[in-house]
Formats: sequence, C-alpha cells, structure tokens
Amino acid sequence: MRGDRLNALLLILPATAFLLLWFVVPLCRLLALAFTGEAGGFESLWTLLSSNVYQRVLGNTMIVAVIVTLLTLVLAWPVAYVLTRLKGIGFMLMLYGVLFPFWISVLVRTFSWMLLLERNGPINRFLMGLGVTDQPLALLFNETGVLIGMTHVLLPYAVLPLFSAMNRIDRRLLQASDGLGAAPLDTFRRVYLPLSLPGLFGGGTFVFLLCLGFFITPALLGGANAMTLSMLISSFVTDRLAWSLAAAGSIILLAIVLVLMGLAMRLLPLDKGMFAK
Amino acid sequence: MSQLSPSLRWIAYASANLVIAFLVLPILAVIPTSFNQASFITVPPTAWSWRWYEAFFQDIEWQSALWVSIQIAVLATLIALAAGTPAAIGLQRLPPRLRAAMTGLFLAPMIVPVIVSAVAIYRTALDIGLNGTRIGMALSHAALALPFVVINIGIALRGVDSRWLQAAAGLGATPWTIFRTITLPNIVPGLVGGAVFAFITSFDEVVIAVFMAGYGAKTLPVKIWESIRLEFTPVVAVAATLMILLAGILFILARMIGTKRNGVTV
Repeated sequence: MRGDRLNALLLILPATAFLLLWFVVPLCRLLALAFTGEAGGFESLWTLLSSNVYQRVLGNTMIVAVIVTLLTLVLAWPVAYVLTRLKGIGFMLMLYGVLFPFWISVLVRTFSWMLLLERNGPINRFLMGLGVTDQPLALLFNETGVLIGMTHVLLPYAVLPLFSAMNRIDRRLLQASDGLGAAPLDTFRRVYLPLSLPGLFGGGTFVFLLCLGFFITPALLGGANAMTLSMLISSFVTDRLAWSLAAAGSIILLAIVLVLMGLAMRLLPLDKGMFAK
Repeated sequence: MSQLSPSLRWIAYASANLVIAFLVLPILAVIPTSFNQASFITVPPTAWSWRWYEAFFQDIEWQSALWVSIQIAVLATLIALAAGTPAAIGLQRLPPRLRAAMTGLFLAPMIVPVIVSAVAIYRTALDIGLNGTRIGMALSHAALALPFVVINIGIALRGVDSRWLQAAAGLGATPWTIFRTITLPNIVPGLVGGAVFAFITSFDEVVIAVFMAGYGAKTLPVKIWESIRLEFTPVVAVAATLMILLAGILFILARMIGTKRNGVTV
C-alpha cells in the first residue's frame, strides 16, 4: 500500500509543481506587494477602503453583480423548466442553445453587443421605428450596456445548475399534491419552488461570484462611466504602475469571493455533482 | 402543477425560446457584419463584399496574431494534458483528505478571479523576463486549462473498474502495461474532451493575454481588443467571425466524440 501512495504522489507531482510555480507563488508574491509598498503595513488596503472614489467602485461592482444575478435567474427559470419537459431533438436544440455560447470568446460576445447597442445600431433603430423613443438611447458605455452584456455572457451558468436541480424533482410529488386537491399555484409555491431552491441558490451564487471578477465585458461596454473593481485593479497596473494598490484590490476581491464561496458551500445544499456531473 | 395549464405552458415555452434567441442571435450578428462593403461598421450591412476578409488575410499583423494564437493554444494544450492526465489518475489513489486538498489546488485557477491571476502572473513574468513570450503565455493558459483536463479525465476514469487493474496486476502486468492497455483506451474520450477544452480556453483567453502579450506574443484576442479600443474597423468583425467559426467546429467535434462539457466553463 505504501508503494501505491508513493505512486499517487508521483503522479500528481508535475501538476502540483507547475501550479505552485506558475500560479500559487505569483499569487502570493502579488498579494505580498500590498504590505511592502513605500507606505508599508496596511497602508494600501486602508487607502483603498477609505477613499470615496474606491468605495463607489466597490459599491458599483456589488450593485452590478446583484442585478445581473437576479436578471440571469429570472431568464434562466423558463429555459431550465422547459428543458426538463422537452425530449429528443427539441431538448438537444435547446440545450445546444445554452451550451454553444460557452464556446464563443467573451471578447467576441462583447464585441457583438457593441455593434448592436451602438447609437445608430439596430436596437436603437428598432426602438425608434416602434416609436418608443425619438432619439437614440445611450445603451453603450454606461451601466445599461454592462448589465445587458454581462447578463448575456453569464446566463448559461445560471441555467445549468437550475436545470439539474429541477430535473431531479420527482414528478410524482407534484401529482400527489395535485391529487390531494392543492391548487396549481399552491403546488408550485409549496412543492416545486422549495425543491428547486438548491439550483436557484447554486446558480445564483455562481453567477454572483463570476460577476465580481468580470473584466472584459464591463471594460468594453461600460468604460470609465461604470468602473468595477476588476477595472480598477487593471488601471492601477497599466495606467499608474501602483502595484501595491493593485495588490490591495486583489486581496479585497479574492477575500470577498472566497468568503462567499465558503458560506455558500456551508449553508447551501449545493449539488456536489455541479462541478463534475 | 404536474401539468401546467395550456396558457401557462404556452407562456413558459414562448419565454424559454425568446431567452434562447437572446443567447444565440446576438453572437451571430457579427457574421453578416464581416461581409460589409462600407469602410465603417453597419449592422446589417447595406452592401456585401469580401473586402474585409481580403484585408484580414493581407495584413501581416492579423496573420501573425492568428498564427501566434494557434501556436500558444497548441502548446498550452500539451502542457495541460501532460500535467493534468497523471494528476487525474493520481488523485483517485490518494486518501480522501489529501485528495480533497489537491483537488482544491488543481481547481484553484478556475476559482480565483482571472483579473487577479492575470496581474499576479504578469508581475512574476515581468520579474523573470518571461513577459511577452509565447512560452510565458502558454504556461499561463495551461494553468487556466488544467482544471478542465483534470475534471474531464476524472469523469472518464469513473468508467475504469479498479478490479480490471487489480486483475491485470495479479497476472503480472507492469504499471506501464496496465496504463497503456487498460486505462488509456478507456479514457480516450476524456483526453480528447480535455484537449478540446484546453485549446479553446487558450484560444479564447483575453485577460491574461492583454497583460502578458507585449510585442512577442500578441494573440488574436489581444489584437481584437486593441483594435476595438483604437480603430474599430470591420476587420475586427472578420476576426470575430473566424473565432466563432473555429469554436463552432470544435463544439461539433466535441459533440461527435460524445464528451459533454460538464460543469464549470469559462
């Protein structure tokens, strides 16, 4: 048995060494920069947390994440439900509709929205044609653009956990509830909804965490008018060479993500198979 | 509730189809734009032509970006497979506690926000002179791709019965023979699936690439990123269409092999 153990350790050695050298050590070196700047100590973290500008960026990041999470869950609901009812080719087509966007670069998907949301783009022309608005709406380079783009990119992440939770609901429970005389709305509220909650929370947590660290889509669709934490970190590095501030921002972002993930794993009956079905 | 009333049913199906349209159609909007004849971007184009495809394939910078992207993606895939395949096999043989810890490490690149990984790796790459090199970029992409390889091969390994391995060992087969004749043939779908995901993860990746590219490793997504921010010409639509085309081919390939892109993806 001891030989087996040694064998297993040897097998995981290359990946472990690689990740330590090219991922863990760089990460620790970056985070350490927060405490070794000119000011030293907790100065960079304090600067970041106490400044009005940075507080606004942090608040904006949170608000965007909350709204996008709610939007994706609302949109994911009917898709996940219908997926549980479809069979054969209809099921495959809808599932591929959810999976295909995963394969397309976030950059390409964001670029698409830049074309569509432009001042003279098709969506503005359509809205003006309908008479909804006289002047083109500002849909790009503000919060609206960010919300639309991020909802689009993150929606599949909400559909899959929701679908997997709904798919495991025993339909006989619903029939039993119906048979015992519950109104459809009662069956939904007291049986179906509670049973689909793990998927709803799982998908919601997942989308929320991805939102917090999102970079490409807010940077292109929101621009300087809708700064998020990830854009701030990037601008510290590329525009200001303020490495200790970038490190402090990274610590804050990483801490929020890890705490939320820890809470979610503890509190939610998360589907253990979500990561590997 | 076990059977929705016809009107509710209709609403559920209609809204599901609308959401799918919202997911798919905006992506496809780029494709007609790439056949634009005008020298600025219009959606949809008023006149059609191949001129921006000619422009793409005559421009040495776009050419080189495409080539660099392919080289880096192939290299990243090889690194991720070489490290990830033995790791997935080794994980199964570890005691539960250690296995959980190591799985956490191998999945970490998927959990840490990419902007944080990007800035961290960029800093270390700057310090040791690997910034702006293809090998530096490939290593970074391999770190992002490793979780997909470990997950995919891990799933495939569930189909390998440990009694087969014991039987082979009992009959005197060496570990290498057991791997070559039993394990390997059974995990081919996982290997191919992992390789396809690793490739597309690298080929599509922008955040690390934007920091690390420099002059020596400017990938297609970096070139697109720069063009969107600087000039915004219809050539960008051509590059985006080519990326959709490649992703489409790989998507169909992965379906044909019968591997599923399970769980978490980027």
